[in-house]
Amino acid sequence: MSFLNAEEPTVCDLITDFGIKILWHPSLGMELGANLQKLLWDCISGKIPLDILVFEGTVINAPNGTGEWNRFADRPMKNWLSDLSKVAHFVVAVGDCATWGGIPAIAPNPSESQGLQFLKRQEGGFLGKDFRAKSGLPVINIPGCPAHPDWITQILVAIATGRISDITLDELHRPQTFFNTFTQTGCTRNVHFAYKATTSEFGQRKGCLFYDLGCRGPMTHSSCNRILWNRVSSKTRAGMPCLGCTEPEFPFFDLKPGTVFKTQTVMGVPKELPPGIKKTDYALLTVVAKDAAPAWAEEDIFTV
Amino acid sequence: MGIQTLDISPVGRVEGDLDVRVEIEDGQVVNAWTHAELFRGFEVILRGKDPQAGLIVTPRICGICGGSHLTCASSALDTAWGTEVPRNAILARNLGQIVETIQSIPRYFYGLFAIDLTNKNYRNSRFYEEACRRFAAFTGKSYEIGITISGKPVEIYALLGGQWPHSSYMVPGGVMCAPTLTDITRAWSILEYFRTNWLEPVWLGSSLERYEEIKTYDDFMTWLDENPNHRDSDLGLYWRMGLDIGLDRYGAGVGKYVTWGYLPHEDKYQKPTIAGRNAAMIMKSGVYDSFTDTHTLMDHTFTRENTTHSWYDEGTADVHPFDRTSKPTQKNAKDFNNDYSWSTAVRHQDYGRLEAGPLARQLVAGGKHGESWQHYDGFILDVFKHMGGANIHVRQLARVHEVVKLYRQAERCLREFRLHDPWYIKPKEKDGRGWGATEAARGSLCHWIEIEGGKIKNYQVIAPSTWNIGPRDAEGIRGPIEEALIGTPIYDSTDPVEVGHVARSFDSCLVCTVHAHDAKTGEELARFRTA
Repeated sequence: MSFLNAEEPTVCDLITDFGIKILWHPSLGMELGANLQKLLWDCISGKIPLDILVFEGTVINAPNGTGEWNRFADRPMKNWLSDLSKVAHFVVAVGDCATWGGIPAIAPNPSESQGLQFLKRQEGGFLGKDFRAKSGLPVINIPGCPAHPDWITQILVAIATGRISDITLDELHRPQTFFNTFTQTGCTRNVHFAYKATTSEFGQRKGCLFYDLGCRGPMTHSSCNRILWNRVSSKTRAGMPCLGCTEPEFPFFDLKPGTVFKTQTVMGVPKELPPGIKKTDYALLTVVAKDAAPAWAEEDIFTV
Repeated sequence: MGIQTLDISPVGRVEGDLDVRVEIEDGQVVNAWTHAELFRGFEVILRGKDPQAGLIVTPRICGICGGSHLTCASSALDTAWGTEVPRNAILARNLGQIVETIQSIPRYFYGLFAIDLTNKNYRNSRFYEEACRRFAAFTGKSYEIGITISGKPVEIYALLGGQWPHSSYMVPGGVMCAPTLTDITRAWSILEYFRTNWLEPVWLGSSLERYEEIKTYDDFMTWLDENPNHRDSDLGLYWRMGLDIGLDRYGAGVGKYVTWGYLPHEDKYQKPTIAGRNAAMIMKSGVYDSFTDTHTLMDHTFTRENTTHSWYDEGTADVHPFDRTSKPTQKNAKDFNNDYSWSTAVRHQDYGRLEAGPLARQLVAGGKHGESWQHYDGFILDVFKHMGGANIHVRQLARVHEVVKLYRQAERCLREFRLHDPWYIKPKEKDGRGWGATEAARGSLCHWIEIEGGKIKNYQVIAPSTWNIGPRDAEGIRGPIEEALIGTPIYDSTDPVEVGHVARSFDSCLVCTVHAHDAKTGEELARFRTA
């Protein structure tokens, strides 16, 4: 559903202007029942060429590796997936479920869920570490819960226009163009981060969400504050802490009691720091920043 | 002619995967079974987690109703913790809920439902060619406008929550955001854009004010006939074509309806309690029994779930959701005489099986029960009576009728915000039981939470589609969609579009049905082929 919010291109443009033909989609496809099953078998037999296989959702293996807890078109979904991934030129995993296993894979993982080529941070997943689609590429991971619609459409357009070779994937198979920066890159609260000025509770008109409210913006790779959501905002701009949903560990700490919307600290210092900084340097920076902070850093800034 | 059994797996375009078995005799459905084939176990996952885990997990159950889940999750915690919720926060939550539902209406109508009007089975209808021009997938004139514009209302959600879907901006004690004037003015202009680019010119062919004068079936007929713009609007075309192809002739269902009511009044629910909820909702709660033509209030204590025909090892007795244990059956063999679905059968302790959804809401809106200040609208009840009960066509009319009043409710929220007042009052966490409810676009949604020792002991969700898609109950009574399928004419059993019509008229959301279960997705999003 997030996908339908895409603009430039819209989903309709994607089809009419870029000639991407959607063979089937659960919310958009015409076929049902036996006709859909035939279409799928025709793809598997090669009668209908399958250029891109886009998968959303976890691969469910329960019970006991059979996948019977998620039957689709009359057989376990994982069997369809296994067959279709062999004939597709590109395989794209959309969303945390398909990339890492997402929420269903939180302990105790009752549905025995996996992502397509990862389970959480561990490479492998359902298709295995060595899987390559016919194009030679591994599964292209577009994580997020949800994935930003523009991340999806831009990758599809890149494939459709022959520019996919420009894409570099990181070690988690994410296109670097979207996932090299941090969620914090472009956040409107950066100046408060710099001066260590906190939003101490929700509904305030000031501060940074990192210090008290558990924001993961400095540690999370995404372009949420470069390519805005629904064209207008982002969670951190609106006052909601980043949950780190483009990283394999989401939801962090398995949602254990005391971890939701609360920064985990040791003696008042955040346990997790922005990547690459030494704890001692961070402590030094804190002292200097607090000392240097101008008075307005503690006053309301996002005023009516 | 014997009985032909037809298994349709999947039905598609129903927000998740719905499988249906129907038995057809003499070209009509004589028996039906709906089964949900996906289990993810969100309730199992939530056990032992942080009390607020539901704020993160449950919006992700569904890609299209996430704000509704968030409304339930936050208000379940409000009642468990005994919070105080500031007026602004009630309005900000309501606005999120409203714009999510407004989003769903064109998206559902064009994306999921109207495509079927271009099915070759209807090529003899005099409206067929025009329907193809407007409603064909991706290329239809109205399809393209409708799908694209459906992304606009949720921009307002993003102004409040940062993004749609899957924000968690509603929290016990209020909301995370503190909107500024530019957020409010921007929201106004988004609403205006939606009205002037689709709602009035394309959908109604009429001003909102003129449409709002419609109070009865006869008023609607007058409106339809008085101006070619009304008749030729998408609503007008849909109404006339639906009658022409007989959408008013099948899809009846169980004849009894439920709504939790929704949109708490900003001055009447600042100290949320379960007991005080019914009297504080703008849109009132209720059950409508069409057999006796009576309205009564709904209460969560009347809810029962039965797993006799579901893949859960939880016995055959009706239980209240607080008493459920969510134990999935290991071997989910499909046996239509015994267990055949991951959905449970939901019942009202006195009224039995009930249909949830916009039709239910609008039939209840026509009742004189409840508080005198609460919203009243007798239009759909009058149409329902005029047509002799439910059918696909009135179910659709009820759904799209809501868009105008929700638009007005959204305007009201924007007028009522007091930007300098608080948005959040920090609550004190404690153990206890809570319950939160709302009306998602597709019907009654609620969450139960039990917190013990600072963590979740039990979390249960009943989604609209759990009401509608549920299998037979302990007495063997069919669920609402199963019942609605009886009598459906099937012209071409290789392309049973009529089954799709009935199922889609409920706008079911399977991913929610299988009980709080899935993060939207489900399944294959798509197979694309480049040219």
